[in-house]
Amino acid sequence: ITKKSKHHSTQLSCCTECLQGASFRRFGNTLSEYFHLLQLRHKTLKTIGAKFGTSVLSYFLFLKWLLIFNISFLVNFSFITIPQFVAAEPNNLSFMGLELLTGAGYFQQTVLYYGFYTNATIGKIENGSSYNMQLAYIFSVGIYFVICFLTLLFSMAKSFSRNFTNPHTHSGNASKLLCTWDFNITIEKSVKLTQKNLSTQIKVQNTRILNFSLTQRVVRIVIHLVSWVASLGTAVAACGGVYFLSINNLKLFVKEHKNDLESQAAMLVLPVATSLLNAFIPFFYSWLGHLERFQTPGHQIYNLLLPNSVLFLMCSLINKLWLFCMTWLMQPHIIDACIQEIWLVFFLRIIGTTVCVSLGLPEFDIGRNVLDLIYAQTLTWIGILFSPLLPGIQMISFSIVFYVKKVSLLMNCQPPRKVWRTAQMTTSFMFLLFFPSFLGVLSLFSHTFRIKPSEECGPFRGLSSMYAAVSEWIEILENYTASKWVVWIYHNLISSELFFFILSVVVMLQILLPLGHLALGTSAKGNILHTVGRINCTSRPPPRSPR
Amino acid sequence: MGNKQTVFTPEQLDAYQDCTFFTRKEILRLFYRYRDLAPQLVPLDYTDKPDVTLPYELIGSMPELKDNPFRQRIAEVFSENGDGNMTLDDFLDMFSVLSEMAPRDLKAYYAFKIYDFNNDDYICKSDLEKTVNKLTRNELTPEEVSLVCEKVIYEADVDNDGKLSLEDFQHMIIRAPDFLSTFHIRI
Repeated sequence: ITKKSKHHSTQLSCCTECLQGASFRRFGNTLSEYFHLLQLRHKTLKTIGAKFGTSVLSYFLFLKWLLIFNISFLVNFSFITIPQFVAAEPNNLSFMGLELLTGAGYFQQTVLYYGFYTNATIGKIENGSSYNMQLAYIFSVGIYFVICFLTLLFSMAKSFSRNFTNPHTHSGNASKLLCTWDFNITIEKSVKLTQKNLSTQIKVQNTRILNFSLTQRVVRIVIHLVSWVASLGTAVAACGGVYFLSINNLKLFVKEHKNDLESQAAMLVLPVATSLLNAFIPFFYSWLGHLERFQTPGHQIYNLLLPNSVLFLMCSLINKLWLFCMTWLMQPHIIDACIQEIWLVFFLRIIGTTVCVSLGLPEFDIGRNVLDLIYAQTLTWIGILFSPLLPGIQMISFSIVFYVKKVSLLMNCQPPRKVWRTAQMTTSFMFLLFFPSFLGVLSLFSHTFRIKPSEECGPFRGLSSMYAAVSEWIEILENYTASKWVVWIYHNLISSELFFFILSVVVMLQILLPLGHLALGTSAKGNILHTVGRINCTSRPPPRSPR
Repeated sequence: MGNKQTVFTPEQLDAYQDCTFFTRKEILRLFYRYRDLAPQLVPLDYTDKPDVTLPYELIGSMPELKDNPFRQRIAEVFSENGDGNMTLDDFLDMFSVLSEMAPRDLKAYYAFKIYDFNNDDYICKSDLEKTVNKLTRNELTPEEVSLVCEKVIYEADVDNDGKLSLEDFQHMIIRAPDFLSTFHIRI
């Protein structure tokens, strides 16, 4: 009886504290009920989690997050594509089948391409306000990047605060085994498999050899070095090979213009070569990883897994980006390269997923697949300036990839055997997304300020640089007293180097401060937990409904 | 769907919303899942707060729980009398704590109660041994189990009383960042 009355008294005291946040939560709940996208594929995620556990599920959650992340392209769509539809010119080119692969041809005269956008100020109403396409283009792309950046920062901060753990504290492996039983797994076979893995790990840990002999240590170091050299060497070799191929491509393959179709197909040679390399080199890296784990004793997995896989991922990413840049240099427009790359990667992925069944790779390689996603997102960011609807294409591609991966996973793969630190890897994937975003911003800045826009097409034809549109507009504004504040902002903030310096320092701090926490070994959250004496609402069970 | 349901009064739904981490739609969906376990026992009208309890055998046969090694303990922890028989409130409570939105401290509190087999507010060595056996399906020898339990107590016991208190357990949980995503049942 005393137990129950204690329960009731904590219930009542809790209720009054909870009510303060209740109305807020109710509002949030009503909002989320309208966003059906958030319920996207709830059943699918449940099935995947039930059979494969949290680690594989984290890949699909990351994919879903990227899908929703790309929705911000609606900003671009509403501000520049809708007015463009109003002032559209007719499309003269005919549609041949090859466009779906090359992305050129018919699509060049649609809103997918930068060249299609008019440079006029659109005015439908006589003496009414007009719509300046040039300014709209620059500002909407700029706003898109700002939204993306803020979203990334916010998500990373949230993920970091949720999953922060100090790797320097000597976390006992035994205790870890006990508090990470995966409650998501609900299929009997998977449960039995997980239990078997757990008992194997415990047995291995119990017989752990604490000191290595000298020869064993030397062998381990040699294997490490060999795999590092092999991975770096492959990356360099692939980059060099593609570079030479791109230089000689024109001489070897493009002869006279037989007809349009053949010349376009000849342009495909380089992207096909790079995509094939992109497809097979990650398998090589996976094999290297397997080799290393095979050589070393089982319980060393926990120490090695993180650094090596990250190295392989970085190598693969740099590799892919370099190959992409080579392809880009040979294209007349960067957007051709982007769209081609997206489609080819996409098709190869589908083919690869179905073909690889026969090669007998039974486990789902999370690292490699996440890398594909990050790479696709990088392409979007690089090409967004020249094709505003690229995130839309990316969304379609991601949806199809979700479905294909899910089907192939459920049909072919078995639950993972090795330990995968889900929380840390998810945080590091989001962190890894920052660098491509910087690349996108860099490309945006370089195109806006340095490069002279093309003369015949696009919204900036005739200007010396894209930025000239903004500076011209500011000069016009200076004549109106009502908009003096805009001019002031422009001169003192946007044009001043000091502002950008401060901004970049703030941004760097936001990113590097969490890393600093890790390095210094402080654990803010742990201290808070220990000094909590007061029982607040969240540390006690929520009250039942009043009877 | 919001205003047309006749299962709960609006005040009841709001109260459930406040006390769990679910939205209105999810609460109704969970109610129908609860009812599907025993349609003849659970009425469709909950406005007069009927006193209905489902026996543990029905709860333990749910697809989300039937292969979980800890299903009995989960049902016992969340049921009112500690015997595994659950009312609708207990049912909603259980899945609310096991959902994504529940904070880490709340989950740690309930995980501690689940692993505390003898309900004495401490995880002693016998509790740990039972946990390890459930985790490994009794495949380890008693010596191996004993060795693992001693290791865990050695690593996690901060106040050196030979058993784990809630604070020790929470301290252990901080060092396992995957806990939030693994202590989660999707329904």
